[in-house]
Amino acid sequence: MGRRETLMSQLRGEPPPADDGRNVDSLLGLLEGEGAAQQVERLAEEHPHPPPSELHDSTSDLETYYGLPLLKEHVWKAAIPAYFYVGGLAGASAALGAAATWSASPLLRGLVRKTRLIATSGAMVSGALLIEDLGRPSRFFNMLRVFRPTSPMSIGSWLLAGFGALSTTAALFRGRRAGPLAAIGDGAAVGAGVLGVPLAGYTAVLLSSTAVPVWQGARTWLPPLFMASAVTSAACVLDLCDLNALERRAVRRFGIAGKAAELVFSKAVEREVARPAILAAPLRHGMSGALWKGAKLLVAASLALSLAPRASPRLRRASAWLGTLGSVALRFGILRAGRISARDPRATFAQQRGGPVTAQAGAPELVPDHAGPAASRDLAPASASEPSKVRAR
Amino acid sequence: MGAKGFFTDTTLCIGCKACEVACKQWNQLPDDGFQFTGMSYDNTSHLGSSTWRHVGFVERPVPLGAQITGAGSFSWLMMSDVCKHCARAGCLESCPTGAIVRTEFDSVYVQPDVCNGCGYCVSACPFGVIDRREDDGRAWKCTLCYDRLREDMVPACAKHCPTASIQYGDLVQLRARAERRVEELHRRGVPEARLYGHSAAAQPGTEGLNAFFLLVDRPEVYKLPPEPVAPARNLRRSWSALAAAAVGMAALALGAVLSP
Repeated sequence: MGRRETLMSQLRGEPPPADDGRNVDSLLGLLEGEGAAQQVERLAEEHPHPPPSELHDSTSDLETYYGLPLLKEHVWKAAIPAYFYVGGLAGASAALGAAATWSASPLLRGLVRKTRLIATSGAMVSGALLIEDLGRPSRFFNMLRVFRPTSPMSIGSWLLAGFGALSTTAALFRGRRAGPLAAIGDGAAVGAGVLGVPLAGYTAVLLSSTAVPVWQGARTWLPPLFMASAVTSAACVLDLCDLNALERRAVRRFGIAGKAAELVFSKAVEREVARPAILAAPLRHGMSGALWKGAKLLVAASLALSLAPRASPRLRRASAWLGTLGSVALRFGILRAGRISARDPRATFAQQRGGPVTAQAGAPELVPDHAGPAASRDLAPASASEPSKVRAR
Repeated sequence: MGAKGFFTDTTLCIGCKACEVACKQWNQLPDDGFQFTGMSYDNTSHLGSSTWRHVGFVERPVPLGAQITGAGSFSWLMMSDVCKHCARAGCLESCPTGAIVRTEFDSVYVQPDVCNGCGYCVSACPFGVIDRREDDGRAWKCTLCYDRLREDMVPACAKHCPTASIQYGDLVQLRARAERRVEELHRRGVPEARLYGHSAAAQPGTEGLNAFFLLVDRPEVYKLPPEPVAPARNLRRSWSALAAAAVGMAALALGAVLSP
């Protein structure tokens, strides 16, 4: 509230505003500080103490500050992993649709129509999910205020905006067989396919360029994993649609390749993240570990069913649902793993020190071999008081 | 103008928390709910959207120079933590709206009228400083008292620090002063004294901190990352991986449709 509004409200004899935790007497002070605009609705709940890391034993660990997290947990709710799934689905559908459009085969016309509908509805749902998750949804348009190449979220916003426009154009003219509108629709479909490919994977780049150890640790293999999972998602949703034999064959090939790649890249992510071993803990234990393992199992089951030589419609549907669940579980598992990883300060320390961390019964320890010359000097007292803590490599 | 910053000398900190109070008062930030941690004198426990200075109380069962207490081989380390205003800031590089800017004082500033609360900076900060206030919906952090700097005043925390543990000034001068202080401490029998993030060479991941520290132990015990890196440094690797996968995905789509 500005100076004038405050004074006017006092002159009108209005009651002072409810307690906002600032203890500023409105007769004596005006709210004009740098943090004065910060809105307060729930005072007590707002500053909870962060939960200590789940693996932490505060009585024995000298390396951390009372086991408190070093990093902030991500603030995203379920809408974000849901968007990761939907955006991937839309992007991969558009890519397959663009290929089908480009082939110009009359037998694939049904597939073209369906992929365009999936792409445009996916783009719309994606936008809604992303806006819903913003702290200030009314300011969603600020996402297109600048273009910032260092921010994958900025690049992704522009990608999604372009993809939405192109996929909607393609969907609008999906029924045309000839003429300028059909050409516009086909051109837009190919454009949407070109944008859809990075749209399916940029979310992994977004995650891996954060400070969260497990996401950062997966920076090479997470993008391919997300893109393979997007192919799985699209193939599974198309498998639930009514397709002719040729279309079914194309979708089956697309799906089998996507699922196989997803399983391979999951393994690659596990290997990449496991250096040092403590980073991979969220993918092994707890709810995030269950989601991650569950995703792999579901996709493997879906792959096994779709490899069956003459699949009945019922088997096809079962395979599609398993694959869909697997893709969704993967995104939720990765987000959850990031939350757990941010809570554990030792994951950050181990990653940055580059030192190996012994993965012993949930009590990994730092080996401070990378400490600089100044740091190593005062390690001696630490090792003297706790001989078991410091180990030579 | 020129680059301004903080030099926080933890050997001088007495843990009075005047900086926390001064910051809250000047910036008119809401309180934290007056919670009790029960683990130490630290009841603030972390920096956050409405806490822009935080005094940590580290209890170390080792003798560290002048920090030894009467209780034998036990050292008590206190440190006033703050946003580091990194020369290469993860929050600024990740912000998709341009809400986070670098000011004429080389500090990193969040414009509350632009921020739309996407939350990406929260995960991008390698120090866990910036946070989104859920009932406000936007991200907040230390502004280096931008309003005071514009009036040629010292930031509230540095102004109120009774022991000059928090020193504000021109970065060039602060760095020289900090190096002299380390040499002096080494002479006076505190070999553990070392600077944290005082230059791009000392901390290449962030290209140096505009709010840097003098510590007497490894950064980990103060809840500081040992080798922080602005996350955008991983981008080249991730985008290359994406590009390779994109070729694969395009081939898959074409192969599925075109092959006989």
